Order: sequence, then C-alpha cells, then structure tokens
Amino acid sequence: MTDQQQMDLRRDEVEAGTTTGLAAPSVDVTEARQNSLWSDAWGELKRNPLFWIGAVLCLLFVLMAIVPQLFAGGADPRACDLADSKALPSAQHWFGFDQQGCDYLANVVYGARNSLIIGVAAVLVVLVLGIIVGAIAGYFGGVTDGVLSRLTDIFYALPLILGALVLLRVGPSTNLPIISDRGPGAVALALALFGWMTAMRLVRSQVIAVKSSDYVAAARAMGASNGRILVRHILPNAVAPVLVYTTITIGVLIAAEATLTYLGVGLQRPAISWGLQIEAGQESIRTAPHLVLFPSLVLTLTVMAFILMGDALRDALDPRQRA
Amino acid sequence: MSDHSVPARGVAAGDERAAHRGAAGSTSRSRGTDRTTPSEPTTGATAASAAPRPGKPVAGETLLEIRDLQKYFPLTQGIVFKRTIGHVRAVDGVNLTMRRGETVGLVGESGCGKSTVSKLLVALEKPTSGSILYKGRDVARMSGRALKDYRREVQIIFQDPYASLNPRMTVGDIVAEGWAVHSDVAPKKGRLQRTQELLDRVGLNPDYVNRYPHQFSGGQRQRIGIARALALRPEVIVCDEPVSALDVSVQAQVVNLLEDLQDEFGLSYLFIAHDLSVVRHISDRVAVMYLGSIVEEGTDEQVYTSPSHPYTQALLSSVPLHEPVLRGQKDRILLQGDVPSPANPPSGCRFRTRCWKAQDVCAEQAPALVDRGQGHPSACHFAEAREVVPVDAE
Amino acid sequence: MTRPDLSPSAPARPAAGNPLLEVDDLHVEFRTRSGVVHAVNGVSYSLSEGETLAILGESGSGKSVSAQAIMGILDTPPAVIAGGGIWFEGRDLLQQTPDEQRRVRGPGISMIFQDALSSLNPVYSVGYQIGEMFRAHRGTSKKEARQRAVELMDRVRIPAAASRVDDYPHQFSGGMRQRVMIAMAIALDPKVLIADEPTTALDVTVQAQVMDLLKDLQRDTGMGLVLITHDLGVVNEVADNVAVMYAGEIVERGTVDDVFTDPAHPYTDGLMSSVPQVEAKGGRLQPIAGQPPNLAAIPSGCPFHPRCPRRRLGAAAAPGRECATDVPPLRLVVPGREAACHYSEEVLGV
Repeated sequence: MTDQQQMDLRRDEVEAGTTTGLAAPSVDVTEARQNSLWSDAWGELKRNPLFWIGAVLCLLFVLMAIVPQLFAGGADPRACDLADSKALPSAQHWFGFDQQGCDYLANVVYGARNSLIIGVAAVLVVLVLGIIVGAIAGYFGGVTDGVLSRLTDIFYALPLILGALVLLRVGPSTNLPIISDRGPGAVALALALFGWMTAMRLVRSQVIAVKSSDYVAAARAMGASNGRILVRHILPNAVAPVLVYTTITIGVLIAAEATLTYLGVGLQRPAISWGLQIEAGQESIRTAPHLVLFPSLVLTLTVMAFILMGDALRDALDPRQRA
Repeated sequence: MSDHSVPARGVAAGDERAAHRGAAGSTSRSRGTDRTTPSEPTTGATAASAAPRPGKPVAGETLLEIRDLQKYFPLTQGIVFKRTIGHVRAVDGVNLTMRRGETVGLVGESGCGKSTVSKLLVALEKPTSGSILYKGRDVARMSGRALKDYRREVQIIFQDPYASLNPRMTVGDIVAEGWAVHSDVAPKKGRLQRTQELLDRVGLNPDYVNRYPHQFSGGQRQRIGIARALALRPEVIVCDEPVSALDVSVQAQVVNLLEDLQDEFGLSYLFIAHDLSVVRHISDRVAVMYLGSIVEEGTDEQVYTSPSHPYTQALLSSVPLHEPVLRGQKDRILLQGDVPSPANPPSGCRFRTRCWKAQDVCAEQAPALVDRGQGHPSACHFAEAREVVPVDAE
Repeated sequence: MTRPDLSPSAPARPAAGNPLLEVDDLHVEFRTRSGVVHAVNGVSYSLSEGETLAILGESGSGKSVSAQAIMGILDTPPAVIAGGGIWFEGRDLLQQTPDEQRRVRGPGISMIFQDALSSLNPVYSVGYQIGEMFRAHRGTSKKEARQRAVELMDRVRIPAAASRVDDYPHQFSGGMRQRVMIAMAIALDPKVLIADEPTTALDVTVQAQVMDLLKDLQRDTGMGLVLITHDLGVVNEVADNVAVMYAGEIVERGTVDDVFTDPAHPYTDGLMSSVPQVEAKGGRLQPIAGQPPNLAAIPSGCPFHPRCPRRRLGAAAAPGRECATDVPPLRLVVPGREAACHYSEEVLGV
C-alpha cells in the first residue's frame, strides 16, 4: 500500500469515526495565511474577463472626466462657429458639431466629468443611505423598523423628479453647503435624497431573510456583538442584490439629470454634461440625430461598464458561484 | 472496561435486564460488527453501552437546572399598531436537570416546543417565566461578563448543516470566529494551527481551512459546525437535531464523533431530536415532550422498555422496526386526530384530547410529572408501565 | 433490446401477478455546465399487481430521479433519458409522444411527493383540486366532481370530509395534506402508485397513520406501490420487496425478509449496522466510512469500493474481480436474491 493509500484509509477511518484523529496530532500548518472573503473575491475578479472589460471602460471614462484634454483631440468645447451648426460627423470632427457649432467630440468628452460626478456621487449616497437605513430597519425590527419603513414610504410618495425639482428650486436661497451652489454636487444630492428608497427596501428584505438564518443564530449564541453580526454575517450576504441594483441606477440617475435640466433646475449652460446634450439634441433629432446618438452612446457604455463590474463583483462575493 | 463499575448510563432499574438487553442488542447487530471494520474493537462495545464509556466521567454535579420554564410568543395583529390577540405557549412548564458528563435526550414531534427549549438554553430567547440555572446562577439575570462566559461554555449545534454555516466565510473563519469574540480562549498567534487541529479532530482535512461551506457534503458541514462549537471549549453542547438532516450512512459517523468528543472533553449534551432510535442510542436520560411540556422522564431504559405515559407509548409504537422477525409483534397504538394548537391548548392534561384513557379528571387537573409507582416520573393520572417495543430476543 | 431476467425478484409475499410496470435498463443523465451527472445508471425493476416494492437509498442515489423518469416529470433539459425503457400496459412509454404518455400515465400511474404543501395550489380549495382530476380526465360536471372529492376525502380518512372539502391547503395539518395528496393520486384508480418519501416530512405518529392508509388502500384496490424511501424501518414494515440503490444503480434486490435478515451487498450491510434501533440501545454504531459519491465523478469499478470495508484491490482480488477496476454486475447470488458485488457470497457467508 502506498503512503497515499494509507493516508486515505486513515482519513476514511477518522471520517467514519471508528478511530479518532487525536491519537496522532500530526497537523502541519500548510499555509501561513488564512484567506478572507475579500481576498478570495479579488482572486476571482482577476480571472473574470467581463470584470476587466468593465474596469477598462470605467477607467477610460474616469480618465476622460479628469483629463478631458487627452481625449478631445485638441479641440476646445467652447470654441464654436455658428457656421458649423449641426454639421454631421467628418474625418476631422468625428462627432460633428452641435447647434452652436461647437466640436461635439470635445463637448461629449468634457461632459463626462459632470455626468460621472452626478451619477457616481448620487449612487454612492443611495448605497450608503440604503444600506445603513435598510440594515438598521431589518436587523433591529420592531419599532425601529416601523419608523424607518414609514419614513421610506413617505419618500416613496414623492416622485423622484418632483422632489429633486423642489429641492433644487429652493436650494439656492438656503445656506446649506452643497445644495445652495447648484453645481453637480447639488444635483447628485437631490437625486440621491429622493432615490434611495428602493435600495433600502432591498437591503431591508435581505437582512430580514439572512437575520433568521442559523449561522446568525450561531453567532448570537456565541456572544458576537450586533456590529460584528451585521458586518461579518448579515451584510456580506445581503448586499449582492443591492450592488446590482445600484450599478443599473447609475445610468438612471445620469439620465434623470437630463430631465432636471429640461425642467430648468438641473445644470445650466454653460455647464457641459451628457444630460444637457441629450436634452438639447432632442429638438433636432430628425435633422441631426448624431446630437442625441453620441452622448447616449457614451452614457450607455458607462452604465454598461458599471453593470459589468457590479455583476462580476456580485459573483465574486458569492463563493457558491465559483467553480 | 469492568473497572468502570459505576453504572452511570442509567441501569438502575434492574441491572440484569439491562445486561440482557445489551446482549440482545449485540446479537441483533452482530452481522455488522463481527464481519466489518476490523479497526474497531467490537468485543465489549455493547458492554460499554451499559457501563460508562472509557474515559467518560461519571455523571457529576448538576450543571443545568431548568425550573418551570415557560416561553409564550405573542400572537399579534396589525402592522403599525400591534395588538396582542393571544399567545402561543411554545414551552409551558418544563423541568429538566442535566449533570456534568451526561447526555439528556429530549424527544418530541414537530411543534412540541423542543427547539424553543434549545433557543432558551443558549440565550437566544428570553423565558417568559421560570428559570434556567447554570451552575446555580439564573441565566436570565446574567449580563456582561457572566453572560459572556455562559455563551462560551454553552454551545449549540444546529440541525441544518446547509443553513448553519455562513456561505461567505471560509471554514477557517467559521471555526475561529468564537475566538474573535472570546479572545481569551486562544491567543491570536497560533489560531490557524488550532483551527487546523480542530478540523483534524472532527475528521476533516486540516488543509481545508480556506474552503467554503458549499464545497462540503452535509456530513462534513455538520463536522464544521461541531468544530465551531468545540473551539470555545464548552462544557455543554445543545444538539438541536444534529443528525436528522444527514444521510443514513453519515448519521452514524456524526453520532460516533459526538460520543468520542464527550468522552474526551467531558462534555454534557442536551440532545434534541425526533428520531427515537438515535435518542435512545446516545442518551443517558430521556425526556419526552408533548405540546410544550414534558410528559415522561427517565433513563433511556425506563422510558423505552416501560413507558408509562400514553403518549410515549403511542410514540414508541409508531416507530417502524428494522428487524423482519419483529414485524407485527408490537402493539400498534394509532393516535387519532392532530396535535392541538399551542395557542389554545386543552385544559388539564394536554394529551387528553387524543388519549384513550382520558376521564373527567384529566380535563380538570393537569397531572404532575411524578412517579406514580411505575419507577420514573410521568405526567399522567393513570400512568402505567407497558412494554410497547418488542424485545429482540433472537 | 434484451429484456432483463425478472424472475429473481418474483417471490413476493402476495401472489404475484403479471408485471404492471417494468423499468428496463434506465439511464438518466443531467447535462450541466460543470459536467454530466450520471443520476441513474442502468436501473431495472418490475412491479406486479398488489406488490409493494421499496426503492431504498440515500440522497443522490437516483431513487427519486428514476421515479420522475417514469412519471415524465423530469426537467428536460438538463435531464436526459439516455437509454432504456419504461414498460406499462405492454407499451414502452419512452417510445410514445408526450400526448400519448399523458393519456396513459394520468389514469394509470400516479405519484405522491414528500412535500405535500408545495404540491398543492394554495389558492384553490382542496375539494376543487381533488375534483380537478375528474373534470380534467373524465369530463365530470363541477357538482359531481365535488361530490367525488368528498367521497375520496372520506376514503383517505379525513375527518368531517363534507365540511372540510372547501377548506384551503394551509388549513390542514401536514398529515392531512399528505392525505389530500393521496386522495388526488388515487382519484382515477391508478394501477401503480409511486410514493416518493411520502412520510419523510411527517412526525412518526402521523407517519404510522399514513403508511397504514396506504397499505389499506393497496389491499382494497390491488394497485402496485413503489415506495421510495431512505427509512429502513418503513421498508421493513410496509414493503414486500426491496431494491437498494447506490450511485444510480441497484446494488441489491430481494424480498425484504431476506435482504434485511442477511444483506448480500456490503453497502446494505453497512446501512443496517449504522442505524440505531429503537428496540435496543446497542453498542457503538458501525458507520460506513467516507461520503456518498459525487454523481459527476462516480468511482471506477464498483462505485462503492472507496467506502467498502471488504474491497479487494490489486493482487488481493480474484482475477476479473478487482473492485476498483471491474464493475460488478447485478447478478443472482442465491435464489431470489441479486446483488452487485464481486464478493456477495462472502458477505452472505454462503
């Protein structure tokens, strides 16, 4: 019998309970390190091509937002010539010109900054608010849940656009730090404040489901604190659906910014954003479809990039998905 | 094994008879023992069932004392303004004592409240009234340090090995989690090695520390759950249906492991299960629960060979036997109807609505859990020992 | 196609009639992303009128999948019936169109499941659901169907059937729900009833009631009963014949008396001695080592050999009977008993 066979046989006996493993306490620490969920998740992400596609796209847009000069092909978005108004794409000007005769590629590239700030910042606030409120409501239940859930219902009753509209209309007359300056930060905050409820509902229902599981009971019986149970057991098992939801929401929020602009309370010219461009392009969609097409295209690509990353992250955080 | 002369495994009622049954047990099982698994010294294995297993400490001082324990869950209506419209009496007057080193079996059918007892014991629920005394101290009044110590010393193993392990934690993290809470049990350095030792001890490959629960079979997961409980060096482990979700061939592995660990670490078990055969095998004493309270209690021998409560008798007579020669040899007591709702239990004796012995007194007076001459406590006004399970005398 | 020799399992306790149902070398695979799962690998059995055949096995042994194949309720894909035949009333169901299959199965073979609650539709009354069987298959009027439902509920001993016929599934206890399922299953007087772990979810006192009911119904109607279970006790108390399954194959077959008194396959033997019994405390349990096999990677040779205490490997094995390389066929060991082990004679001690 080979050594391997003998070891297997011993293992069988130990597993069968006919002999005890303690008789020979011959444990070698084979690896110096113990993996955690996050290190394993990163190892998994690294091998996922979809994640890399999403990551490269994201990086591209983020770079575009930080240093638009690199992408604009040397054109200045504000150097316009009305003679070129609504000119179609050409070899020199890939995206053509807008109504004012400005280079559209430069405009779309420079629009990335505001659109990304609004989309990402709003989604981060949505995520934080949704997870915190949802986790507290779901975990503690009872009166806490009752109060927080009703509060959420109240926000649900206010339509996203109407709520943001009122806040942005009133904002400039207040002294509130971000709200009063009417920049992308104000728009993001306004959108997030009236758009976090679905995330909260998702987190809350997941937390309630996970809370009753035996492994949470085991941790409680062991004496683990509420914080530890929430962070180690409940949230890792509850956030997956929210991650997917929020990645999709980025696109929805960037588009909502366009609506606010249309209503006259969002970003105002001379600010540059995809929302403004889509809104402005709608008027001449028959004569110059490229004015809607290009900002919509980059918006879609951005959203897709986030969705790809969100999907990959969700799978990476679920060990059961791994081969 | 003869030097362990004190019969701690409860053979007070007639040593001769116990010895006889032990022998019967060995013959009925002989086809398995005398041909298979040469690694196991089978001679005397059956004798060990009557005498204490080697290394097993003789049942010592009282560790846990459950006194008149009650747990009512409110039934509510309304969402925002909840009003209580009644109570589910999940546990309604349970008394039970557990001594160091012994295994107390708690059997009953679904909904009888046995799982609530386990939750009360590990302080996941607070009792409505009554008390759980651990080493003389009331658990409900513990707080801070004392409660933390209690939570270390009393551990639980759950029924469903698929639900009781966090799917997003590695096996190593799961086993070692207790040390993060009770950092005094194991110094930070060397935790990995101790985790691996524990995995080895419960029969798992120590190299599996970085794997996730879903990569294991049901039986292996249950071993992980056992390792997690062991990590805190507990005194008492509450086993809530620990083998009922496992395959038949794997159940025995886990039962044997639990028995070995008990011998090695001097553990005390409260073994909660609905499988009467497993409970008989592992328990020193057995308590039978029906609708929130204990109807009969005694050594495994007393409860299984001379059950005196009608419910115990019906329960035992319903268990299908494994020996073809015994088929049809037992009295079949088929109970009529269903278990009444614990929200509205019958007056007097809980069992009277399904009992063939019920008389007027049963509706008026709840029978106390006392010995009425049958040799062990039974909560029936007309308790009478009766042999229900045929003796396998080949 | 060669028909299997069905005689060895014939000595059933009641007078065995002609086979009602014959399963012949059935193969079922699940083709999944991560590989092919061989759930059923060449299973053959037959069932006569009035016979109770127990299919005994653990989870993943293929016992339920083979029954689902008979009922035509496998999810295809991923499941694929890779070979074999299912003969009922002289026809191979697998050679028929789905429509023809439905016409034969509906009234001829019916099935009850472990989880009665999820098998019943929560938004219809139980009376309506039982009556549905008559309306759908016999075109009975609504009023008559309800009347028949009450009769059936009476027959499965649901107390106060007439007043409970309009109740909904959640208003019944687990045992009563299983009776409703049984009522639906026997509504059309099937010749074969397949019961897939019918009492596993039930308490032991209720289990006794339900098994009693099934036995009585069988005696009255003479139907054949295929009882799929992992519970040795239930097999012993109810069945005439037993087929023990492991890793998608039948490893032993015979009368319950014979198999339970003297197993011929080490797996059956191991099962018997690993289970504690209520009639005696017994000594230390003798478990089967290791874990049940992964059906995507069934061990070579005898699928049980990695866990088998009697395996003979390499030079220790008789020629052609090496446990890790030679697949043991299901063969007649002694009259009336088949086993798929190279060394069954030793296990039996004959």
